[in-house]
Amino acid sequence: MEKEQLKQQLKQQIVQFLNLTSIQPGDIKDDEPLFGEGLGLDSIDSIELIVLLSREYGVTIQDPKEGRKVLVDINTMADYIIAHKTK
Amino acid sequence: MYIHQHTCISAQETFENINLDIIHPPVGNKLVAKEPVYKGIPPGILRRMGKAVRMGAGAGLPIIENYRNINGIIIGTANGGMEDCIKFLNQIIDYEEGMLTPGNFVQSTPNAIAAQIGLMATNKGYNITHVHRGLSFENALLDAFMMLKTNPEASYLVGTVDEISAYNYNIDYLDGWYKSELHPGLSLYDTGSPGSIAGEGAAMFLVSSNRKNAIAQIRDIQTIHTTDHAVLKEMLREMLHKNALHTGDIDLLISGENGDIRLLPYYTEVTRIFNNTTAVVRYKHLSGEFPTSSAIATWLACGSSLPAHLFQSGYTGAAAKNIMIYNNYKGLQHSFILIGKSFGS
Amino acid sequence: MSRVVITGLGIISAIGDNVNQNREMLIQGVSGISSLQFCDTRYSGLRPCGEIKHTIPSLKEKLQATEPGVTRTSLLALHAFQEACGNAKLQLSDIASPDTALIGASTVGGMCLTDELYHDANTKEEGSPYLSSYDCASVNLYLQQRYGMKGIINTINTACSSSANAIMYGARLLQQGLAKRAIVGGADSLAKFTINGFNALHILSPEICTPFDQDRKGLNLGEGAAFLVLEREEEVKDKTVYAILSGYGNSNDAYHPSSLSDNGDGPQLSMQRALETADLSPLQISFINAHGTGTENNDLSESTAMIRLFGAPPPFVSSKANTGHTLGAAGAIEAVFSILNLYHQEIYPSLQFKTPIETTLLTPVQEYRPASLQHVMSNSFGFGGNCSSLIFSRLI
Repeated sequence: MEKEQLKQQLKQQIVQFLNLTSIQPGDIKDDEPLFGEGLGLDSIDSIELIVLLSREYGVTIQDPKEGRKVLVDINTMADYIIAHKTK
Repeated sequence: MYIHQHTCISAQETFENINLDIIHPPVGNKLVAKEPVYKGIPPGILRRMGKAVRMGAGAGLPIIENYRNINGIIIGTANGGMEDCIKFLNQIIDYEEGMLTPGNFVQSTPNAIAAQIGLMATNKGYNITHVHRGLSFENALLDAFMMLKTNPEASYLVGTVDEISAYNYNIDYLDGWYKSELHPGLSLYDTGSPGSIAGEGAAMFLVSSNRKNAIAQIRDIQTIHTTDHAVLKEMLREMLHKNALHTGDIDLLISGENGDIRLLPYYTEVTRIFNNTTAVVRYKHLSGEFPTSSAIATWLACGSSLPAHLFQSGYTGAAAKNIMIYNNYKGLQHSFILIGKSFGS
Repeated sequence: MSRVVITGLGIISAIGDNVNQNREMLIQGVSGISSLQFCDTRYSGLRPCGEIKHTIPSLKEKLQATEPGVTRTSLLALHAFQEACGNAKLQLSDIASPDTALIGASTVGGMCLTDELYHDANTKEEGSPYLSSYDCASVNLYLQQRYGMKGIINTINTACSSSANAIMYGARLLQQGLAKRAIVGGADSLAKFTINGFNALHILSPEICTPFDQDRKGLNLGEGAAFLVLEREEEVKDKTVYAILSGYGNSNDAYHPSSLSDNGDGPQLSMQRALETADLSPLQISFINAHGTGTENNDLSESTAMIRLFGAPPPFVSSKANTGHTLGAAGAIEAVFSILNLYHQEIYPSLQFKTPIETTLLTPVQEYRPASLQHVMSNSFGFGGNCSSLIFSRLI
């Protein structure tokens, strides 16, 4: 899959998985921080996103600290998926 | 203890444009709540909420917006966010205890409702959740009653929520507590069969010791676990005596009669204690049966007048001064709530 | 207002079936945390827990609990309830009296039957015998029915602080004259539901937990039950009085659904309110049984709150490495431990500690020692920011 396509798919999955009802997938910018400022996600969301990566892409992140490096923005997530995906 | 504000989300028009002349009938055997658009809840918070938390927060919000300085939040809920509970449970089984999303787990704890209201109101005061099945509301009221005795200047948000979830609906259905369906045209009270219809809702109250401008006074709350009619009647007589009231002083009895033939004798016995100067109102055809439905009855008692069609007997059009609510959950848990509407404010 | 005293104690936990066994294991510093034997989950070898090594049939037989639909949580509750009532010399007529309240806490209730619940919640066919046993209230309703109790009965669920609030509610009923005695406490058993829930939050430790340690890796779940008999001082006559319940405080951290604030507002407030109701200054607290779960978040927040309130906090321990975190039972179990501290004038060691947290530098007591204790505080904090603190005092 093209990286651009992956990023669009990822945005849709995030909106659906986290039930971000007030946000359209297209509103999320590739380099917008997911946590704090930006989308305003929190620690529970970060765990939910780790589960999403596992279920949808077979990408496992064991250590939540490593998760923080991966779950910076859409770009970093997409890069990590491309490097590690198993499905 | 005086009630100063009251809100209710139920299967009827009880929240924004209150209108008790319209009755929404059950669909099958369920009375599902008419949820409003929750304008005041930030979308970032709303997205996580299951229905119970949403209804509780939604009903509580208008009160906490008016009373920023409440001293605490006291919630009664038999089951809390059971839909989240079952979602998490299903994840455990479906993913064979693999990687699970914790959001449902966090929202499934019954104290999530009081916690969420505390969070929205940044209220660091007393915060508690009573979960004693059919007496969750009564214990919450008793808690507030005790808090106000110790802190007479304080005010508290007291309320309840319970939802129809796949969890409690299926389980109570299998256990024989719901009719399979209610035939259109047949009153809930005339079915002559076991079981009731499922309901859900939230009711919230602002209570304080201040009688000025109050809507109603909670004069007394009594609860008991029994299946003995004599014990029940004795408790009611003692309660009236303690409050220096005769049966004739109670001008309105709000009865929790729910169409379950097995529970009818309790309601009949209690009604018989009063004479024909006491009017009788029934409400479960509006709310459905759920463990904290007596809070809906309390909300009804706070209203200025009840429409004639709610009366089983004794409608006069006059406003009631002393109201007794009797509710019975599954034949074991009984409660009497004594409400005064005339206290010389 | 009359003083509320404790005249009976009952406990069952991973370190013993009764008060004496629990005390002995506390003195010896034995941890009850091990691989799971009875709770069926794929995490049994991976996430050690404080499991009570009795099967359900053996508990049923011992307690003669033959009623259909009785759950492990109810059995544990009954076990501790019987010990507490016996200890306080309550007759069956006392227990059934309209003047006796039962205030219990549970967060798991009958959900310990995770698989049966899954079946019953997702089926329209025949139900299991447990249809009315899943909710939190089922535990106290079982006790109510078994003993025909006619007083005020209540169940509280404020997550991990539940039974501290049950104790508080019972004490208030006595002070307001709504009951003459109150049997208060809590029970929870291990469940696939909670093990997976806490595991999904990544806060279950793969080893025995290390409360207040810099390198702590999370908590261990546990199971157990404890009850206290509370009576008004003027009514106890010649009974043994173990301690006075002198103060209690409840607050909400109002910070996050599942974690405490870094500056520990909620914990600080609950401790402060307990001091206010007891009419004590921070300096008068001799000892603290901390909540100390061993999670990154709790231990830091609690340490910060203790430092804010006490400056230099008094000696403290966490007993979570002994029993595991017993959730709705934790407040009551640790209330029993705090009362034992006072009654026997001794401190039981906090286990597994090596290195203080860099930013707070607090060190729990690590060896058994006799101690002169007057006022002991017990902390319980839960999800939803529900914080509670109790203060027990020595009767003099």
